[in-house]
Amino acid sequence: MSKDLVIGMAGSGGDGIISAGESLIAAVALEGYHAIMTKSFGSQIRGGESSCRVRISTRPVLNPGGTLDAAVALNWDDFLKFGAELPVGGNTVVIYEAKSGVAPDKLPLVGVAPAEAIAVPIAELAKQTAGTDRAKNTVVLGLLAGWFGINGDAIVAGIRKRLAKKGVKVGDAAERSFKAGMTWAAEHPLAHELRLDPPEGQRGPKLLTDGNDMCAAAAIFAGCQFFGGYPITPSSEIMQFMSREIWKYGGALLQAEDEIAGVGAALGASFAGKKAMTATSGPGMSLKTEIIGLATIAELPLVIVNVQRGGPSTGMPTKSEQADLFQAAFSAHGDVVRPVLAPTTVADTFRITVDAFNIAERYQTPVIVLSDQEIAQRKETVDPIDTSKFRLEERRRPTAAEVEDYKRFRNTDSGISPVSHPGMPGGNYLGSGIEHNEHGDPTASGVMHARMNDKRFRKLEPLRHERNLFLVEGDPGAQLGLVSWGSSAGVCREVLVHAQAEGLRVKLLVPYLLYPVVEETYREFFASVRAGLVVEQSHQGQLYRILRMMIDVPACVQPFCRSGANPFRPREIVARLRELTLAMQRHGSNTRQPQE
Amino acid sequence: MTTTTANTGHACAPGDYKSDLKPIWCPGCGDFGVLQCVYRALAAIGREAHEIAFVSGIGCSSRIPGYTTAYGFNSVHGRALPIAQGIKAANPDLLVLAAGGDGDGFSIGGGHLPHAVRRNMDITYIVMDNQIYGLTKGQLSPTSRHGRKTVTSPYGNLEEPVNPLMYVLAYGAPFVAQGTPADMPGLTAVIEEGIRYPGFAFVNVQSPCVTYGSEDQMIKAQKEILQPLSKMGHDAANRIAAMDLAQHYGKDLYTGVFYRNPVPPATYEALVRGLQASKQAGALPRERILDLFLQREPQDEEDGGSET
Repeated sequence: MSKDLVIGMAGSGGDGIISAGESLIAAVALEGYHAIMTKSFGSQIRGGESSCRVRISTRPVLNPGGTLDAAVALNWDDFLKFGAELPVGGNTVVIYEAKSGVAPDKLPLVGVAPAEAIAVPIAELAKQTAGTDRAKNTVVLGLLAGWFGINGDAIVAGIRKRLAKKGVKVGDAAERSFKAGMTWAAEHPLAHELRLDPPEGQRGPKLLTDGNDMCAAAAIFAGCQFFGGYPITPSSEIMQFMSREIWKYGGALLQAEDEIAGVGAALGASFAGKKAMTATSGPGMSLKTEIIGLATIAELPLVIVNVQRGGPSTGMPTKSEQADLFQAAFSAHGDVVRPVLAPTTVADTFRITVDAFNIAERYQTPVIVLSDQEIAQRKETVDPIDTSKFRLEERRRPTAAEVEDYKRFRNTDSGISPVSHPGMPGGNYLGSGIEHNEHGDPTASGVMHARMNDKRFRKLEPLRHERNLFLVEGDPGAQLGLVSWGSSAGVCREVLVHAQAEGLRVKLLVPYLLYPVVEETYREFFASVRAGLVVEQSHQGQLYRILRMMIDVPACVQPFCRSGANPFRPREIVARLRELTLAMQRHGSNTRQPQE
Repeated sequence: MTTTTANTGHACAPGDYKSDLKPIWCPGCGDFGVLQCVYRALAAIGREAHEIAFVSGIGCSSRIPGYTTAYGFNSVHGRALPIAQGIKAANPDLLVLAAGGDGDGFSIGGGHLPHAVRRNMDITYIVMDNQIYGLTKGQLSPTSRHGRKTVTSPYGNLEEPVNPLMYVLAYGAPFVAQGTPADMPGLTAVIEEGIRYPGFAFVNVQSPCVTYGSEDQMIKAQKEILQPLSKMGHDAANRIAAMDLAQHYGKDLYTGVFYRNPVPPATYEALVRGLQASKQAGALPRERILDLFLQREPQDEEDGGSET
């Protein structure tokens, strides 16, 4: 029996691999399992290779897992194109199309002997039952359901629903194909048992969605009334969700002519008094930078979501990377500090997006949400979220008395000034990108400029002491410490479980607030650490570098990073922790490693 | 379709729209005249200053919002139109004006203009076209004529100027006019009419730069050559005729309304309001929006579907 299954499938564009994955995850979500599904494509829109990974677990899952437990290859050419995205190991059961003519002991997998290889006449079963080999994906679902012990009724109902528009006959044929797969599996039991245990914990209905849709839904919940944006992979689904929903809540959307106009319109809406957002990816962020600077000096709330992909330039549009942190924190010209937040899972994308709107409103500042392709485009089961627990904030409006001698940029103790908007009598002021005095009138005074810079920094000072935007897990006194953010943090949370099972004492710090840096939190976390890793998916280790710049990071804390595309696997980090433990034992636990 | 910019019945004088800021323009700058005409047009329309949003980019002329009592937004170079559209879409009740220079609108911000036109929000866009970059001290602008010598074209401009009237007409703007501070009543009239027009209104203003402009661009010279379209028998409902006249941009100075679509097309904000009204019924309460992602038994919705 198994508590955790990672299935990887690959085929050609028309093989329906992705929809098979969708059917599988929808069915197991109904059964009460936790699951994550990621998809990967070649560069072509149609006809190229496509693949998906589905991880199903009896317990909550926070990352797509490592080596596959089951690999499905509809043809070997396509499967092999995904390389490290579909890793086969010694415990993997490989299921492949018999028509390929490859002998089970002659698989084209270099240097790997899988646990078991089964050639299945998938296309033939599809033709026999549905009259077309387009039903191959349904046969595969039958095989998987049969071998893993997944309730076939839920899958069949899901497939029927998806095919409802094509008529009853097509649905009947699909059911025959599915059953043929199940029967074939029953007649050919696996030598390696892969049946899933029943799900643990909360059984009830789950949410099933991806990070982009979760982000957009959170924005609507937070009261977002305007979206301005431009399509860009892998963030477009946020605008697509908004274009279906925002009107229903009295809001408006503008698909702009370019990235600059998208964020410009959003800033205009914020100037007009509405909560507003834009979403983009790296290249779009580069273009939006000037307007984000305008939001900073005009002190207007604005939420900017950057769904990170591989860069620089066009880079790798469909692959995940965490290399836009420097850009988020430092791309502005002039003296600027602006909050940068990062979700780590589909589930916490909700909370982080709501936080972003609250921080933007409270401090009248642009806030950057650094999602990444991995979270944004993977489907994940999420336990229902109690939205009544969230408080929503609104920007501070001027009182009637304040309007009498209105100072839009009044230099208050907190640095936060009352903000009016067009339509509000008496609140008339000039918003501007040029430096201004408390009334908003342009100035070239160096004294005023210094005072206003001070005010803009001072108002964000509380964020430097914000303790609620961190997650700390594991053994508080542990000498082994991990710091990780974004989707990599989901991997590290699982690392903790594996490491503890091996008897390693380890703890994890996950910052949701990446910038400004909350010094106390890191200092407390590092206090007991004798060997630490900052785990992130970029070549330079950008969070590590920022921490080194801003705070006193012990030399024993080192970056653990690599360029994007392939997420970290829990096992590789556990292995590194094991090495660090051995090194600590050799040197004596009180010896800190020398400076790099 | 009535306009959101109709007279509210308040008696407003031009001085009500004048702010305390002293304009930082060279003595004799055409923009002073434009500013006066804006005051007069706003007074004629009578909307209160707090109901007006006046957005600009960067340049000498982009300082204009600060000299009015409206809510102003002196933004960044070239981006007045995107910001103005965000404001209008977010609150269609506002009277929204956008303004800037020829560099701001036709060069760095030139990519926004066709899209602002086709979206057709009820915004009036006033360009103070002086054929030069004044604020940065006299470089070529997109409307500088071929051969013109400036600090960045010491041997003469190698390029041909754009023709903004021509392309705004080609983009399909429903209201296109030109004025000059050499004819203050005429300029006031086209600005006022542009604001009253229920849709995107483009007003190009030949506003001379006294510091870097040439003699033939000054107010005195303009007065001698300007020809009001109203006296030329031009039918402003005829877009092809308007384009014929627009071809004279840079040579002859025609003032007044080139084109006024007699059947104003629907504005973006009107369509937005329609969508908001028609989709509202289908909304989950905001706090229950995550129900959209709830996995339900597929059979629930399928009853009577493919089974029958």
